[in-house]
Amino acid sequence: MEEHNSENFLRLISVESTGSTLSSDSCEYYQTEIFDQLPSVQASRPVQNRPTLVEPCEAYQGGPESEELRTGHLPRGQRDKVSVQPLKQLALCIQAKREASERRKMQLSNIGFWESWWKNQSIKRKRAWAQMGEALSGLLPWQHTLHVIEGKFGVGLKAYFVFFRYLVYLNLLHCIFICGLILGPTVFLKPNISELMKFRGNDSILDFFRGSGYLNRSLVFAGFYKQNIRLLNIRCLETTLLYIAAILSILILSLIMVVRRTTVGYKHTWVLGKRYNMNMSYKIFCGWDFTIKDPDAAILKSSFIRNDLKLLLEEQRFSLREAQRTLGQKVRLYLLRFILNMLVISLLSGAFFLIFFVTDWTLIKDNSLPENLFTEYLSPFTIASVNLVLPEIFRKISAFEDYSFTTQVNITLVRSIFLKLASLGFFFYSLLISPKKDKRLCTENEIGRGIYKMCIFNFLMTFCSALFFNYPRKLLQERYPTSFLGRLAGKQRFQIPFNVLELVNCQTVLWMGVYNCPLLPLIGTVILVATFYIKKFIVLRCCVAEQRLFRGSNSSVLFHFMLLLGLLLAASTLAFQLYETELGTNNMSYCGPFDNGQIVFNATAECMNSLPSAAQKSIHYLTSEAFALPLILAEIIILTSYVSRRQANQRAIERLKDMLVMSSSDKRFLVKQHATILRRRRNPRRVCAAATTDDHPLSHEVTFSRIN
Amino acid sequence: MGSSTSHLSKENVSEYQELTFLTKQEILLAYKRFMELYEDKKNPPDPRVSRVSLDKIVKLPELQSNPFRERICHVFSTSELKDGSLSFEDFLDLLSAFSDSATLEIKSHYAFRIFDFDDDGTLDRNDLEKLVNRLTGETDDTRLTKDEMGQLISNILEESDIDKDGTVNLSEFQHVISRSPDFVSSFKIVL
Repeated sequence: MEEHNSENFLRLISVESTGSTLSSDSCEYYQTEIFDQLPSVQASRPVQNRPTLVEPCEAYQGGPESEELRTGHLPRGQRDKVSVQPLKQLALCIQAKREASERRKMQLSNIGFWESWWKNQSIKRKRAWAQMGEALSGLLPWQHTLHVIEGKFGVGLKAYFVFFRYLVYLNLLHCIFICGLILGPTVFLKPNISELMKFRGNDSILDFFRGSGYLNRSLVFAGFYKQNIRLLNIRCLETTLLYIAAILSILILSLIMVVRRTTVGYKHTWVLGKRYNMNMSYKIFCGWDFTIKDPDAAILKSSFIRNDLKLLLEEQRFSLREAQRTLGQKVRLYLLRFILNMLVISLLSGAFFLIFFVTDWTLIKDNSLPENLFTEYLSPFTIASVNLVLPEIFRKISAFEDYSFTTQVNITLVRSIFLKLASLGFFFYSLLISPKKDKRLCTENEIGRGIYKMCIFNFLMTFCSALFFNYPRKLLQERYPTSFLGRLAGKQRFQIPFNVLELVNCQTVLWMGVYNCPLLPLIGTVILVATFYIKKFIVLRCCVAEQRLFRGSNSSVLFHFMLLLGLLLAASTLAFQLYETELGTNNMSYCGPFDNGQIVFNATAECMNSLPSAAQKSIHYLTSEAFALPLILAEIIILTSYVSRRQANQRAIERLKDMLVMSSSDKRFLVKQHATILRRRRNPRRVCAAATTDDHPLSHEVTFSRIN
Repeated sequence: MGSSTSHLSKENVSEYQELTFLTKQEILLAYKRFMELYEDKKNPPDPRVSRVSLDKIVKLPELQSNPFRERICHVFSTSELKDGSLSFEDFLDLLSAFSDSATLEIKSHYAFRIFDFDDDGTLDRNDLEKLVNRLTGETDDTRLTKDEMGQLISNILEESDIDKDGTVNLSEFQHVISRSPDFVSSFKIVL
């Protein structure tokens, strides 16, 4: 204390606040002068304004003497970090960085030749890597489009398009597998391939929509890969086995990729978010989207934030009200919810029955019905219309259930996802089990055709709705904004959740069909790319941003989670189909790669038998119970250790938090105490201080030199 | 220094590349944009000293609809007059902090300073209130009501004021930010 007093130091006091700050007890502790000199505050103080630099970077504090005092106070860890970090990662102005780099060079010249050479080399290496990364990221397609969309509509919509691009990549990856493992061997080795691929007289262009005739013979469907060809005369290198390997690797690869993306997002939002509930702080501190350039978009964003905050506060009050509900009200509410849920279930089952019935009917329709495009596309049409109507009904229903707003939206979304995926499942199931009108038809091809049509139909619908609905509506609204129709049309919003649902639906169809229609990933890639441009057109040309705030990360977890559900559905349908084939029920003719009595299980078994005995033995061991038991035990041990580590960390966190609160209150106490003492001492000198301020009425920095 | 020519010298560019998160193209583009704002066409600017006033900077399309535009200029300005005017190097600092490749550490540091309206090193109730008002819009009918504001601010402090001293300091702020994966992608200004 005494030492400090004998020192000359400058400090910053606003002239106006001198009196009030010092005389009132109510002043906050962080406004006292000692607070500015606390090491912790110094460490986090804007480094840019520290007086280490003589030039303009010096903004408001101190003179050169106090610098030593300050750097001396820098916590050790901080100083170490500062000296190893790359210069650009320091929060300094350029001039300060320049000086820091000079200082570092001085240090470098002190150390040995090799060390400095090594450091220089590592800097160069880093720069080369950075350049390479830049060049590679320039190759990413649609970077510019995403940037434009982000500027106009914010991060939420960009997340949708990034998800879109991710799906395109995924499908491209699938294409590589398909080409390498299925298409390549078959095309090169299969005899008379050009004969099969020839366009015959009775083939028409409509075949491309119906998946029949020419397309039915071509390499699009599984029937083409019927013949088993052995490569290089090795038992395990057969086209059938390669076929199943390609399909399985596609599914497993997708599983790994999707799970990885989901968990990364999940870790961020839920695991961390739940324990430390920071909802409101996020919305405030990370609320503004600095990428917005458009003034309208900025106004819109402001209103999002306002509505969102109001909503959140309202929800808080809602939960308070909820806690105060009486028993009678609760009983009535639960009864209502029960009835509404029954209604939802009956609607769902009605929808499923309709899909099942329609698919069944189109497959066994008697020949009197004209075989035209309408009947061919009846079941995709039914599914699409059910999926169009029911979510709206669900939205209306959830309004009655007296949930908070977010729960309402989520519950609608969950019900819609369930509807979408389950209707796909039902569609597939009815394709698989309904008896064929013609026993000679190939089952795999029939299923493949159904899914192919579904895919084409989805695309056509997107295309038509953009061309005949979104665009005319926009034109109407633009040309005649005051007319009745124009007002009725209103502004269009891009509903992210439902668009994502559509995408997930599309990808699920692609996964489901890949076994029966191996060229589907290729077709899917083309369709996705085209859809990307259609959606871009809709967004940029026809839409204004959505009213509801959509947070990028939360939504991307949700997107990937839905995708995961779709993948699981696709995998289970494949398993079901293989199982059905093995049972050989309703004696259909199977014509895929596994025909003439050969099924997946015995094909792999035959392959196994041809392996050398050591490999056979090890595979047998890996699949036996003797291996499973130790594996499970090891997993249990690892999991237990992680759980206990987590608990220990949790306890440590709690203790540290307590310590933090404690030390902070100590700090506050000491600072206040110090301020009081200082005030008592200074009181007699007040007059003198006033005189100095009179001498420099313009200056805000008052120098006190205190010499005891 | 290449201040005597109207173009940036090669050494200057590579030095800036070293000291900021910007690429060569970005630096050159920034220079072009800065020159468009710079008034004194006869004398080419010295990147350290010559300044462009705050009024002109905030009219940049990238900043014009940003509610924090004046604060951003004040934070990055090294002017002794504290008028928020930017030299070319300050401008580069700004773009570097808001660039794609800047780290979370840097971004959160500057975000904190932008939100710290009275420059006292902590976000207290007044800062938070100003911040919320900027976010929701400053006119009377867009503001939150007094009750809502009170409820909101006590919620924020409840959540992020870990040491319970009534303010949010830099480390507490960074603690919140580090849990938001959205922040890095939205705290971004690209020319």
